Amino acid sequence: MQIDWSTIILEIVNFLVLVWILKRFLYQPVLDIVAKRKAGIEETVAKAEATQHEAEALKQQYEGRVGEWEQERGVSREALQHELEAERKRRFEALQMELQAAREKARVADERRLMEARRHSEQQAVTQGARFAGKLLGRLSGPDLDARLNALLLEELENLPDERVAALRQQATASQNDAEVLSARVLDDKTRRQIESVLHTLFDRSITCRYHEDPALIAGLRITLGPWVLRANLQDELQGFAELTHESSAD
Amino acid sequence: MQGGALGVTVVWQLGPVAITETVVTTWVIMALLGLLSVLLTRRLTLRPGALQTAVEGVVTALEAAIAAVAPAQARHMLPLVGTLWVFLVVANLAGLIPGVHSPTGDLSATAALALLVFLSVHWFGIRAQGLRAYLRHYLTPSPILLPFHLISEVTRTVALAVRLFGNIMSLEMAALLILLVAGFLVPIPILMLHIIEALVQAYIFGMLALIYIAGGLEAQQRTADQDKETT
Repeated sequence: MQIDWSTIILEIVNFLVLVWILKRFLYQPVLDIVAKRKAGIEETVAKAEATQHEAEALKQQYEGRVGEWEQERGVSREALQHELEAERKRRFEALQMELQAAREKARVADERRLMEARRHSEQQAVTQGARFAGKLLGRLSGPDLDARLNALLLEELENLPDERVAALRQQATASQNDAEVLSARVLDDKTRRQIESVLHTLFDRSITCRYHEDPALIAGLRITLGPWVLRANLQDELQGFAELTHESSAD
Repeated sequence: MQGGALGVTVVWQLGPVAITETVVTTWVIMALLGLLSVLLTRRLTLRPGALQTAVEGVVTALEAAIAAVAPAQARHMLPLVGTLWVFLVVANLAGLIPGVHSPTGDLSATAALALLVFLSVHWFGIRAQGLRAYLRHYLTPSPILLPFHLISEVTRTVALAVRLFGNIMSLEMAALLILLVAGFLVPIPILMLHIIEALVQAYIFGMLALIYIAGGLEAQQRTADQDKETT
């Protein structure tokens, strides 16, 4: 056991050199790589935290947007409900009006059909009544009734007002001098002369009469002079009554 | 060339400078550690393999052990204290190799390391707050304690050197005596004890050095705090 100062000095130098070697080639590289890795990890953690914060911000923004969308959807739904309600009400009213119009139209059509049916019934009744009256009058008619009707016609012709006479004269042209006299039975000469005389007086000229017989007239006369027709027979009267009734029911 | 069981073999005499076996062994250990460091840290990557993980584990464990005692100075004290631990482990275990003596079995080597620790205590202390402030801690809490502080500085350094030398030298001596007396395989338990003792003594030497340095830093820090309170 001895102390060698040269060994001490050499050992001190050796150890200091070893310190430098290990610091240069062991501690520093290892600590650097550890620090670098630590910095990388911290950077990654910082990025992850930043990403997390960004994600949280996006999540909050998304939740806010979802809330706004929910609110907008509620408002839109309410507006749509109101619009649908208004449209339904409008369409319901239009349908009511259409139904009312259709109902009114049907009612008018029913009334018209009913009136038509009634008018047709009335016409049938009048026609049947006229036919019945014609048959009844045909059985009841005779020379006396003819004579009375002829006398009635001649009397009416003689007593026509002046303006009526003027109108007849104006309608009957000068070339129309032939009159057709239709009777239910054969007229006697006296009646024929009376007719010709009345016509001569009425038109103020000589009128030639041609006489015919038509039992359908039942009784009485029908004098035709051009467009002018004088009716004094039961058939025309009955027909006139029927037409008058028909016109009155049509009005 | 002279030597013996307790003596040191001089390999080469260069005038007054004697290159002893201790120095040569230290050079070999330095070369091995340097080469190993270069090989291990040649291709460090951010995604470490098993070997790089082990190396990083050793270095960070050293730094953590230092930080447990002196957290603020861990990075600055790592090269000295860490090298002490690494070198002493290898140097203590070198005696297990047949024909090789542990450098720490030489009192000159352990005295050199203890002297380095002694100087390092003052170096770190003066570097922290300056020479005047550092020297003032010898006068605290009372100037009467100055001789005891000085004696303590010397004795703990001597104790540091002699403790390591005595343990390692005695282990080698015990193994040699048992081998001579008992036979070929009998010293094996002593060699296993040598391994444990080598690790323990390396740890003790490094930890004591760390505590001395940290104590110097803390003492001058405490002195500065007392000055502030007085002011």
